[in-house]
Amino acid sequence: MSTAVSVRGLRMRYGAADVLRGVDLEIRRGEIFTLLGPNGAGKTTTIEILEGFRKRSAGEVSVLGTDPEKGGDDWRARLGIVLQNWRDHTRWGVRELVVHLSRFYDAPRDPDELVAAVGLTEQAGQQVGRLSGGQRRRLDVALGIIGRPELLFLDEPTTGFDPQARHEFHLLLTRLAADDGMTVVLTTHDLAEAEKLAHRTAILVGGRIAVCGTPGELAREVQAQSSVRWIEDGRERVLSTPDPSRAAWELHNRFDGPVPGLEIRRPSLEESYLELIGRAA
Amino acid sequence: MNMRALRIGMRRGWAEHTHLLRNRRELAGTLIGTVGFFALMLIWMGDRPVKGTDVSNATFMTAGFLAFTVFSNGLMTLPLSLVTDREEGALLRLRAIPGGIPAYLTGRAVTVLCQIALQSALLVATAVLVGGVAPPRDWLTLAWVLVLGTVAVVPLGAAIGCLLPSSKSGAGMVALPMMLLLIPSGVMFPVTAMPEAVQWVAQSFPLYWQGLGLRAALLPDSMLVAEIAGSWRLPYVAAVLGAWTVAGMLLAPGLIRRMTRRESGSRLAERQLAAQTA
Repeated sequence: MSTAVSVRGLRMRYGAADVLRGVDLEIRRGEIFTLLGPNGAGKTTTIEILEGFRKRSAGEVSVLGTDPEKGGDDWRARLGIVLQNWRDHTRWGVRELVVHLSRFYDAPRDPDELVAAVGLTEQAGQQVGRLSGGQRRRLDVALGIIGRPELLFLDEPTTGFDPQARHEFHLLLTRLAADDGMTVVLTTHDLAEAEKLAHRTAILVGGRIAVCGTPGELAREVQAQSSVRWIEDGRERVLSTPDPSRAAWELHNRFDGPVPGLEIRRPSLEESYLELIGRAA
Repeated sequence: MNMRALRIGMRRGWAEHTHLLRNRRELAGTLIGTVGFFALMLIWMGDRPVKGTDVSNATFMTAGFLAFTVFSNGLMTLPLSLVTDREEGALLRLRAIPGGIPAYLTGRAVTVLCQIALQSALLVATAVLVGGVAPPRDWLTLAWVLVLGTVAVVPLGAAIGCLLPSSKSGAGMVALPMMLLLIPSGVMFPVTAMPEAVQWVAQSFPLYWQGLGLRAALLPDSMLVAEIAGSWRLPYVAAVLGAWTVAGMLLAPGLIRRMTRRESGSRLAERQLAAQTA
């Protein structure tokens, strides 16, 4: 699997403050990657450097084989960007805006199919300013992928979505990554969403990547506690342990056979995240 | 700028223009704010002659309102549109698209041109129908002065828009100097009625020259007694408006590049948060 984004020793300094202190990161093509971290950890700065919106102080950055500071129109055409603060083009019609922005690309997606894919067919003739918050976000996503980007940056994409819209959006994103081989870089505060969508996750703490990997790898890395539950003497027992397989093996020996009601739950991404942030605080 | 961005920008400008026409509030602002006010002025004082001449105030005011239309669209509406687009994120969205910013700027220029053309046509029609003003005596001069005047103010307006901090404060920052400039510019009453120092100040700005060129197209030569040097000075009109065009062209690209380069999601979020808490 080749690399979509490569970051080595990325540093960013605002005045006397070091916001990024040597970020190393590799995002593979076709994967959905989430970048997590508390406010002020440097997530936005990192993403804006990758998007070519901000100059770095030091380090090497390559996005789709190009330094974002030197990326021209051809490079930009290979990216899709969806931010959460867009409130623009309110007088435009939904379909009208999708068609207009599709004209900037050589081989855009079909506007009508795209409007349907994000569930806005009924609103196609409506003014953008009259859309609800969730509909607006779905339109932003449609506009982000209109040019068939190889790499899509999504900033808090499901803020304001109802559960159904959120579910449909997750399906759309998974399909785009699987069918089109699109790489997705996602920043979110919704850890359940990150766990559900992401192949890999990096957690940024204090301007450095603290851990990076699959949710399981993250849990092992931070040695977050798994919970082991079983029934003994008619009561449910719970044990928190960083090594659940050893606990299960010991229980098996103690019961000399199957353990009643045995259930092992690995730590969620949220638990790993909180463990890590708690340690860093 | 490549041809695709230019083509898309022109379509974008036309689309923005039609959005404005479909918006009742915008349309009412144009019709009542500009044309309606002009019609009222014509009814109120249009019949009277300009002091010391046999030309009606209506004819004189037509040239002044046309000049101010160009000026206000280019140097007030355009900068404020630019700031609003920056605050809402339109500039950032287009920055994220290949060729988006050149297309955006082309679009804004086309929208301003369309607005000026529409408002100018409405003003001339109102002058003829309500004020009994004779149709322009020199259509060619009217056309080139309008076009050159527009070309002169569009880059300047874009440059001003880059410097405005926000749409809220921007409106006051732009409107006040424009109104102050309007008084000595000679577009509302003859500039020769003012002290010589004021005349020199007026001649430093494009509004005076725009108005002079339009008066040349609309007024009879008998009005030359009310003009500086007793002449329409059309070569000077072309030279000064051309000089302002060049100044705008030199100034605007750097400022626009600087402004768009500084746009990012976090800046947009900061600005929107500041607007909410203000």
